[in-house]
Amino acid sequence: MKVFSGFLKELKLASRGFYFYIEIFMAVLILILFLFIVPDEFSAKGEEYVFLDMPKEAKDVYLKGLTGEDLLNQRKNVKIKIDGKDKNVDLYETEDSSLYFLESKEDIIYMADNKRKISLIIKMDEDHNLAYQYYLQGYESQKLKNLIRVLNLESAHLLQENMDSLEVRSISIDSKRLSDKENMLPSVLVFNGSLMGLFLIAAYIFLDRQEGVIKAYALTPSPVWQYLMSKIGVIVFISILSSMLVLLPVMGLKPDYLLLLVLLISTAFFSSALGLLIASFYDSLIQAFGTIYVFMIIMILPNMAYFLPSWSPTWIKIFPTYSMLQGFKSVILANGDAAYVLSVSAGFLLMGLIMFFLANLRYKKILFR
Amino acid sequence: MFKKIWTIFLRDLKVNIKDFLSLYILLIPFLFAIGINLFTPSINDTTVNLAFIKEENNQLVTYMEQFAKVEEFDNLETLKERVERRDSMIGIVPEEGQYYIMIEGNESDMDIEYSKMLLGLYETGLNIEDSKTEIIEFGRTIPPIKKTLVNTSVLFISILAGMLISLNIVEEKVDNTISAINLTPTSHNSFLLGKSIIGIIFAIFGGLALVYITGFGAVDIGKILIIISVSTIISILVGFIQGLINDDIMTAAASIKLLFLPLIAAVLAVEILSEKWQRFLYWNPFYWAYKGNDLVLNKSGSWGQVLIYAGIVLFLSGIVYVFLAPKIRKGLE
Repeated sequence: MKVFSGFLKELKLASRGFYFYIEIFMAVLILILFLFIVPDEFSAKGEEYVFLDMPKEAKDVYLKGLTGEDLLNQRKNVKIKIDGKDKNVDLYETEDSSLYFLESKEDIIYMADNKRKISLIIKMDEDHNLAYQYYLQGYESQKLKNLIRVLNLESAHLLQENMDSLEVRSISIDSKRLSDKENMLPSVLVFNGSLMGLFLIAAYIFLDRQEGVIKAYALTPSPVWQYLMSKIGVIVFISILSSMLVLLPVMGLKPDYLLLLVLLISTAFFSSALGLLIASFYDSLIQAFGTIYVFMIIMILPNMAYFLPSWSPTWIKIFPTYSMLQGFKSVILANGDAAYVLSVSAGFLLMGLIMFFLANLRYKKILFR
Repeated sequence: MFKKIWTIFLRDLKVNIKDFLSLYILLIPFLFAIGINLFTPSINDTTVNLAFIKEENNQLVTYMEQFAKVEEFDNLETLKERVERRDSMIGIVPEEGQYYIMIEGNESDMDIEYSKMLLGLYETGLNIEDSKTEIIEFGRTIPPIKKTLVNTSVLFISILAGMLISLNIVEEKVDNTISAINLTPTSHNSFLLGKSIIGIIFAIFGGLALVYITGFGAVDIGKILIIISVSTIISILVGFIQGLINDDIMTAAASIKLLFLPLIAAVLAVEILSEKWQRFLYWNPFYWAYKGNDLVLNKSGSWGQVLIYAGIVLFLSGIVYVFLAPKIRKGLE
């Protein structure tokens, strides 16, 4: 009960501070970005620049062959800038790539060298055999180069047929997917929600120390842990508030909000306890700043694995933010993976409690000195 | 005047050395750089991860190893278990003389299409040995992902510099030493300049260290210095404002966090959004700084282009300053 009244008191104090409103403002800003600016899907259409090095008749046949396929359904005449000059070129757009047909080898080399575009020359010899010449930058992986070697437009038709006959079976029956925009939300929840505590709890404690609040507290009979817990309470509360402010309007009632609360509370508690523990080793925020910052950078790393799921080395899964991101993803998907979310939450709660216990021991010693 | 500025700078340096902050500050760019050097090769090599059953068809596995990252599993159960894990792993499973593609359900369309294509290639019988394709390379070795990471880190460090300045100013306020400064003949401008030197040095040192360690040393240092300097100006400006209008470190810390938002928005917009969304970010100085940096790291920007980008950043920072100058003056009183 005492913890709760302490928490209410802290909350009242916080709501009078400027800080509280900055958090709300930040959440509103993120919300506006998500509602009005971030598109649902990020188009990542590949571009290729092609020069057909063959007689005019052969070119026509070749192009007709291409446009005849369903693959290339539109032909547009567009202007592109090559070496400072506007040039008219033909553009063929397929579902996932845009093919630009240029007029000379020099233009191809210009696009490849200066604009870093994938460019190729298709040559036809006297016996009507086609040969391909690709211009690459040099940093492409060997695997990609191998793929470029075997792919060619002649067998595209046969390849497509073979691909269409392949069966894709999904293990989970309920396989929902997030749009590109929705897929960014777990990252927002982790950084604006869960990890917020790391830095702020430290600032909170140092502020109280500077203003002598802690000395005043020492005169009351309440134990240290209640004081620390009420601080964490405020941070967790603001995390929930700012997360909901973003999530509710963007996702509506789709996510599993009960699970979200469980995960948000446990992860925010974890990072606040970590922040408390780090702060206990320093006398001022300036001193603690470096350490906290290094921790923040480490916590950002798993984001790369999150946005590039094919790149997930085992070591990156050890970082706490990796499970946070995956947990929030499950919550937003509402894919019924409650067991995972709950086990992640339990893990963070346990780690948080251990760190809180250690922090409590340290603060008992140093806080009221 | 310069002597006063110098004295203020030395005082900050002393305080920060005492607090071990300078150690971290020297460390952070190296940390970034080493991280970037370690990760980029494996990220650049990433295609799609495929799972096979051991000894089932060695020829297929050898074929696929040319194009994808391949893992083999003892039996169907262990393979299925692996596919079900959270990262992207796609199974190629034999059944009645044919193969099907096993997915968990959350893999990206691109990964699924890619594996379909690879399996299709195998079944079409296309081999590298028969290829009539010639590959000509320009000999560039630094992949774009590395450039993106270095560019983002440089801007990150400039924000860090702003954060440092703001914390140093708030500290003076809390200790009530700003009012003491007001009694001395030190002008407001010298005070502000003195306070920013440490941030500027940090940003420039950090930016250059990062660029060199990550292998971009061959870029035009003059150009990179210009871009780093102008992008630091915006962070410093915000650092001042946060430092001066906020009475406590709590608010200063929270409001500097706001700076990360335009930075992340700028990087995401340039890297993944299409042309038509770009104009929504024209107000954002980090957007221009990022683009300018990109040109320099690419070694494709002329002096004119770099100066235009730097000019835009400077102009936008100027607007911010005009709006906030009264607040800065008030904060110093």
